[in-house]
Amino acid sequence: MHTTLKIYSIAVLLAAWIGLSFFFSAQILPGPIPVIQTMIENLRSGDGLFHLYKTVSRVLLGLALAMLLGGATGLVMGLSRKGEEFFESWVMVGLTIPAVVYAIICLLWFGLNDFAAIIAIGITAFPAVAINIWQGVKDIDTQLTAMGKAFRIPRRDLIRKIVMPQTVPYLLAATRYALGIAWKIATTVELIGMSSGVGYMLNYWFGLFSMTQVLAWTLSFTLVLLAIEYLLINPFEKRTTAWRAVVQV
Amino acid sequence: MKKIVVKNLSKHFLLKDQSRIEVIGGLSFEVEEGEFISILGPSGCGKSTLLSILAGLEAPSSGEIQVSGKTLGTNGTRLGFVFQQPRLLNWRTIQDNIRLPLEHGALSGEEQRRVAQHYLELVRLKGFENYFPLQLSGGMQQRAAMARALAIEPDVLLMDEPFSSLDELTARKMRAELIRIWRETGKTIVFVTHDIYEAVYLSQKLLVVSERPACVYERIDIDIGYPREYDDDRIFDISKNVSRIFLKMEASHAV
Repeated sequence: MHTTLKIYSIAVLLAAWIGLSFFFSAQILPGPIPVIQTMIENLRSGDGLFHLYKTVSRVLLGLALAMLLGGATGLVMGLSRKGEEFFESWVMVGLTIPAVVYAIICLLWFGLNDFAAIIAIGITAFPAVAINIWQGVKDIDTQLTAMGKAFRIPRRDLIRKIVMPQTVPYLLAATRYALGIAWKIATTVELIGMSSGVGYMLNYWFGLFSMTQVLAWTLSFTLVLLAIEYLLINPFEKRTTAWRAVVQV
Repeated sequence: MKKIVVKNLSKHFLLKDQSRIEVIGGLSFEVEEGEFISILGPSGCGKSTLLSILAGLEAPSSGEIQVSGKTLGTNGTRLGFVFQQPRLLNWRTIQDNIRLPLEHGALSGEEQRRVAQHYLELVRLKGFENYFPLQLSGGMQQRAAMARALAIEPDVLLMDEPFSSLDELTARKMRAELIRIWRETGKTIVFVTHDIYEAVYLSQKLLVVSERPACVYERIDIDIGYPREYDDDRIFDISKNVSRIFLKMEASHAV
């Protein structure tokens, strides 16, 4: 039922795109067919795959950095009141500063290279991760922990079987947020200061006023993100939160 | 044989401003093997602290507790716990919840499953082993919690107001079930409650515990044979009597 609805929603989106494209020239809004054709050509050429690969690797490494930094900070904030007071302002400041500022700062400090891109992505996505993990740790049910202790469950098992599963929904939320942010900041960094990646290609085709190419690159990266969501995150979520799905009958 | 001996147990907490609150003040009682005893006291009188100490979650400030002739905390005495809330892991099936406390023991996976199945049947949850807790009613969840506590084959079953969050009709059914399970297993049960009628209906012996600091105000034996009818007049009479004791106790504590 859910999947048919999803197919419908995508079909409606495509139909709207096709419909609108009739009213505009290909310079303003090309239809999906030329865009998809261009995308396939780009990927066939090998060059396209290279740029896609560059962006994906930067996004994933930046994401890993954000999860590491944000996870550690969120853990400290959730576990200790002092940690909460200390890091709260950091996280809030981090959230407030526009992502493009991090991009500029990192490029100025570290130069026009992958390292700068990854650091910029990691720092930009870090507050969202920290906030989710912070909440997750705070929401750990101490009654369940007491139950585990009363049943003499060893500390290792207690953490693995009772504490960790409670944080899974928050970890997933953190990953989703961070992934979305990471991809946006990645294109920004590439647009400003890189000579490879989807952002760079967007900038290049923007310079040549090719709407078809801009849309083709956007589409190819959107497909990658959707693949990550539906092939990795979604199945993991389904498996770990099956108990919840059955409740909402 | 004495199953539990509590001697002169005291517990105080230190507050931030260095003031002390006495929660338990010199509590002593004994429980015979296979006995069903209720500890009855007003809300917030330190009953839960007593259970936490028995469970080994908190250390007493002074005094001694022996379970099966051995000092608590120095041996492998096993205590089964049933809390006010079921405290099941919602992401595990009923069967896996019951298995949880067995998983770090010596039993093989197959034996664990067999034990879980046995207690599942004892609490009449057969057929629900692969359900998740949130698919079951509150009463059924509490049955699963009872099966989990029994699965570790405890020396003593400690129950902390286990039926107080259930509706009255369900609670009544659960009380009858508990008596059946107690008689089938012969476990020693320490049942904590603030519900006078429940305590009288269930137990053989009753300890009325005073408000903070908790100490035994009165011991009452209930000589009514099992199975008991819920609306037995004798239970009514004893309950009335206990109510009076309660009021007297409250009056003597009021300043």
